[in-house]
Amino acid sequence: MTGLAIDVVTLLPALIPLAGVLVVLVADLVVPRLRGLPYAVAAVASLGAAGAAIPGVAAGAGTVRTTFCLSAGWFSPGGGSFSYTPGEASPYTSAMAASECLWRAGALGSSLQLGAGLAAAVCLALAWPVARARPAESTREPIEAILFLTALTGTVVVAASRDIGTWLVALELATLPVIALVALTGTRAALAGAMQLLVTSLVSFALLAVGAALWFLATGAPFFSPDAALAAGQVPAGTVAAAAPAPSVALLSLSLVLVLAGLGFKLSLVPFHAWTPTAYAGSTPAVATFLATVSKIGALAALLVLVQALSGLGTPGLLAVAVLSAVTMTLGNVMALRQDDVVRLLAWSTVAQAGWVILPLVSISALGQRSAGIYLLTYVAATLVAFAVVARTVQEVGARGRGMAAYAGLWLRSPWRAGALALALTSLAGLPPGVIGLVGKIVAFRPVIVEGWVWLALVAAGNAVLGVAVYLRWLRPVLNPSEAETGSAPVEPAAAGQAGPSAVLAGRRLAITVALVASVLVLLAVSIQPQLLLGLFGT
Amino acid sequence: MTWVVRLVVLVPALAGLAGLLLARSRPAAQRIAVGAAVATTVLALIQWVAPLGTGDIDTFGALPLGDLSAPLHLLSDELSGLIGFVVAFVVLTIQAYTVWYLREDARYPQFAAGVSLFAAGMLLLVQSADLVLTLVGWEIMGWCSWLLIGHDSERAAARRAAYKAFMVTRIADIAMVVGLITLSVRARSTDLFAVLTEPGRTGLLTFGLVCVVFGIAGKSGLVPFHDWLPDAMEGPTPVSALIHAATMVAAGSYVIARLFSLYAGNDAARTVLAVLAAITMVYAAALAFAQSDLKRLLAYSTLSQVAIMLSALAAAPAAFGVGPGMGHLVGHAFFKALLFLGGGWLAVIAGSTALAPMAGHVRSGVVLRWGMAIGFAALAGVPPLVGFFTKDTVIDAALEGAADGAGFRAWVVVVALFATVLLTAAYCTRAWLVLANGPQPARRPANGALEVERVGAPAGSVTNSRLAGVAWSPDGAVVAAGTERPPEQTSAGEPDPELVDETPPAPSEHRPSVQVAPWRGWWSDTELLALLRTASVAALAAGSVLGTLLLLTLPGSIHVGWLSAVVSVLLIAGAAWAVWVVARRGQRDAADVLPQPVRAAAVAGLGADTAYAAFGRAVVATARLVVFLDRDVLDAYPRAFAATTRAVGRAGQRTHRAVPSLGLIGVVAGVVVVAVLGVTVWR
Repeated sequence: MTGLAIDVVTLLPALIPLAGVLVVLVADLVVPRLRGLPYAVAAVASLGAAGAAIPGVAAGAGTVRTTFCLSAGWFSPGGGSFSYTPGEASPYTSAMAASECLWRAGALGSSLQLGAGLAAAVCLALAWPVARARPAESTREPIEAILFLTALTGTVVVAASRDIGTWLVALELATLPVIALVALTGTRAALAGAMQLLVTSLVSFALLAVGAALWFLATGAPFFSPDAALAAGQVPAGTVAAAAPAPSVALLSLSLVLVLAGLGFKLSLVPFHAWTPTAYAGSTPAVATFLATVSKIGALAALLVLVQALSGLGTPGLLAVAVLSAVTMTLGNVMALRQDDVVRLLAWSTVAQAGWVILPLVSISALGQRSAGIYLLTYVAATLVAFAVVARTVQEVGARGRGMAAYAGLWLRSPWRAGALALALTSLAGLPPGVIGLVGKIVAFRPVIVEGWVWLALVAAGNAVLGVAVYLRWLRPVLNPSEAETGSAPVEPAAAGQAGPSAVLAGRRLAITVALVASVLVLLAVSIQPQLLLGLFGT
Repeated sequence: MTWVVRLVVLVPALAGLAGLLLARSRPAAQRIAVGAAVATTVLALIQWVAPLGTGDIDTFGALPLGDLSAPLHLLSDELSGLIGFVVAFVVLTIQAYTVWYLREDARYPQFAAGVSLFAAGMLLLVQSADLVLTLVGWEIMGWCSWLLIGHDSERAAARRAAYKAFMVTRIADIAMVVGLITLSVRARSTDLFAVLTEPGRTGLLTFGLVCVVFGIAGKSGLVPFHDWLPDAMEGPTPVSALIHAATMVAAGSYVIARLFSLYAGNDAARTVLAVLAAITMVYAAALAFAQSDLKRLLAYSTLSQVAIMLSALAAAPAAFGVGPGMGHLVGHAFFKALLFLGGGWLAVIAGSTALAPMAGHVRSGVVLRWGMAIGFAALAGVPPLVGFFTKDTVIDAALEGAADGAGFRAWVVVVALFATVLLTAAYCTRAWLVLANGPQPARRPANGALEVERVGAPAGSVTNSRLAGVAWSPDGAVVAAGTERPPEQTSAGEPDPELVDETPPAPSEHRPSVQVAPWRGWWSDTELLALLRTASVAALAAGSVLGTLLLLTLPGSIHVGWLSAVVSVLLIAGAAWAVWVVARRGQRDAADVLPQPVRAAAVAGLGADTAYAAFGRAVVATARLVVFLDRDVLDAYPRAFAATTRAVGRAGQRTHRAVPSLGLIGVVAGVVVVAVLGVTVWR
């Protein structure tokens, strides 16, 4: 019996944010007056996490970076530390367990980690504080930074976790800090949003726990691994008729759909989505951005862990995923069409895009997983840009920046920002200037067509049209102020004066601008050369 | 030597471009246009004398069309050499004549450039060994015809005529393009020789050939598409000569001739061609008789003559080849250009292109008189002139075709040909009698011609507007021409060719100008311009007489049958005599014997224009219907989609209140649905 082999370098994507948390705490003790410092440290830690994930991405599709690998004797299905006695001996043997690793970061997982790290850095830049007159007023800044970092850690870990325990804990680590982040501003709207988020998340966690338990019941293994799934699929000789599906397979499927329901909350799939607009509207743009990007990456990563394990079973497709996807994208688009508050519009757009993200998963295959990952990162890149523009506008004109009227004629006042917004919105809609959005939609369509889901493809095509209407409705007044739907006068830039003297704002404005420019450059790069993004997943 | 072939196309094309881009001044434009025409003629002559006999002359290199091979080669053989030379020669005379004719026109440079470009298009088509290049030349001519016919663009009638020509030929071009594509696809190559040698797939071949027949019917003015040609007379006279004599109208015959070996083996396509050509030649010749305007008369005669060329291709036995048709093309090019240039000269003198005001003016000059006489005689087919040989070769070929067992199509053509011979002789005689017998124009002995020209010069540009008024109102067009006349007259049927040959190019009538403007020397501008005009007419007259000699180089183009020649000469003489009698020896217009309503209808083209307009209205009405169906019926679905979406959104907005319990209900309901789906429909 040897100890666990721990490869620190492989673990770095998770360790760096944790180290960042420590540094922030220490820095807050030492120099509490520097309000920007926690964010700077946290942003550097996020970028560090992203950088540490790069070797896993660069290694290519075939290789998996592993650590915490088990050796023989750590786990014995028949007895020892776990006991499994549903009637007969599980086909999952200790020999199988000996080949498991608790941390497996393949190209897909590493790409999601990379995306999460970069997105978190952008969120931290958007959250950059305004220097205040009374330095001792509050200690909000280090807390916010730490919450961002811990949620990022949870996201990074869940993407690489393979055992039920780590998976559940990491998911909660990714979720709970976000609830606190929403509530942190303390306004009524924020508390209402946090409340709804909390309630839904509790129910969802219960579903996840039940789903994980069912997995263990079906396979006898505490690992989300193909071996375990195959073990459940294997019919012990002579016990059950070969024609009927084994009961453990039904258990497995129930486990999957419960996990899907539980993660549906984080992904904002439709029956579980009700918190989304409330929480987005109640939180600051930075937190809303985090909810729309990093949280989604974590949720998809968690789902992909399970799907990867099931892919060995050769299951062709899932009706539940198809129905959720169709309902989600339809309702999201329909509701987004009616929003005049751009944050709410983006919230509903998140819902609609979540439907597109799980659309390829109707095929539980490597193709489907890869397509979902590509689509998610496409969406994340475009959404980051859109939120950065919103944050910049809110910083400039205050709360009015959340209304669509504030963007009327933006093209005339600030062509660069309007151009960035146009690129983001067309990417989300899948129209040519945002080529990557179009590529993403095509990539998401492929598994659907390959598996022959005709009705689903038709629904998705209809939603692609609806989506164009959603985003062009926002984009049109930006380019042509005379067509602004509300008809209100364009917002004067002079209104920025009320937010405070420019010297105080300078740091925040700079941070937001840097975040905007960086995310636009990424979006532009992948739009011009989509192969950059597709290549991340080894296609 | 291959460069000669390329230059024959390149020189006029570059001259056209240079004229459009560079030449803002008239002298430069004149030099470019005439110089390029001379160069082209010399090059074409070299090519005709020593044809390369190859079809592999590279141009731009092959087009990368994947499966379809498109080598874009030019060819050079006896036929292309002869036709190319004739085209270049006629264009040269027209360019020279234009210098005189449009001497007052501010937009002469554009016009001359258009003519050059037009010539380039025709020469490209003549030398093309690739269907793509053929189509390119075809299209260039289509566009240039629009530009040139609408040259007097300030006049509504000219604009309308230009659009009419463009639209009508364009509609027919649809069939042309489809036909050429079909032939190319069939051979998997656009190379002419590949298309000609590809065996099999008869159905596709027939379809392609019939489409090409309808395509050439547009530009050649076969019956359903014929009416643009008379209206195209709104263009300046040189354009009419260009379009009618050697280029656009004749291009169709040339394309058919190039594809002749395919047509020779395809009865269906040839029958279609024969029927269209037979109807057109008789119909147009009959209408020509009643026209009150010289240019429109010539336009109808062109329709009739082009139909004769095509009928030769439709009815001649395969062994005869393209000789009869191409021979008539060459002959027609000479005498039709001659008639148009002479007609333009007359119109300038008379101040109108209507026949009645021209009465008697043909006697203004020796060259003019003899030129017109030769032109009409050649058109009618009087023996020693080129028209006689070419037309009787066609008749002979058709008779041989009938004897060869071609049956229906050959007999239709034979009957139509004899009828056309009769009608052609009749309208030529009538026109000549009207032109030759009129009041002697008031001519002062010293500088009469110059006087006339000075009066005529400004009239030159407005000539056609007056003509337009005549041509467009049916009753106004029918002008009584029978005025008192001196008895002296020349028989239209029997001019003496020898006399014409010895006619010096620019005799007495221009000398007076020397006295008027002695300080400018012998080669004063007026003098030079008039010389160019007279030389052009004289050269074409010579061509009309001696053109037969050119044809000796083209095998099969002169093959006159004994009996048919005698019959046609008798028919010509009979018709001429009858018209002479009816015209009371030239005392009145022979067309006056026709009932007034019939004549008016004939002048109006028997309502073809109305039919075209009705067709256009029908298309527009159909389009409106489609728009209605699209906007009010089909678009109802997207609109309903939008309305539904909005309603659903409103309902969704109402259910989404920010209450945690509602969210929980959603979660529970979702779990139940998903679990049921997941367990029951696990597949």
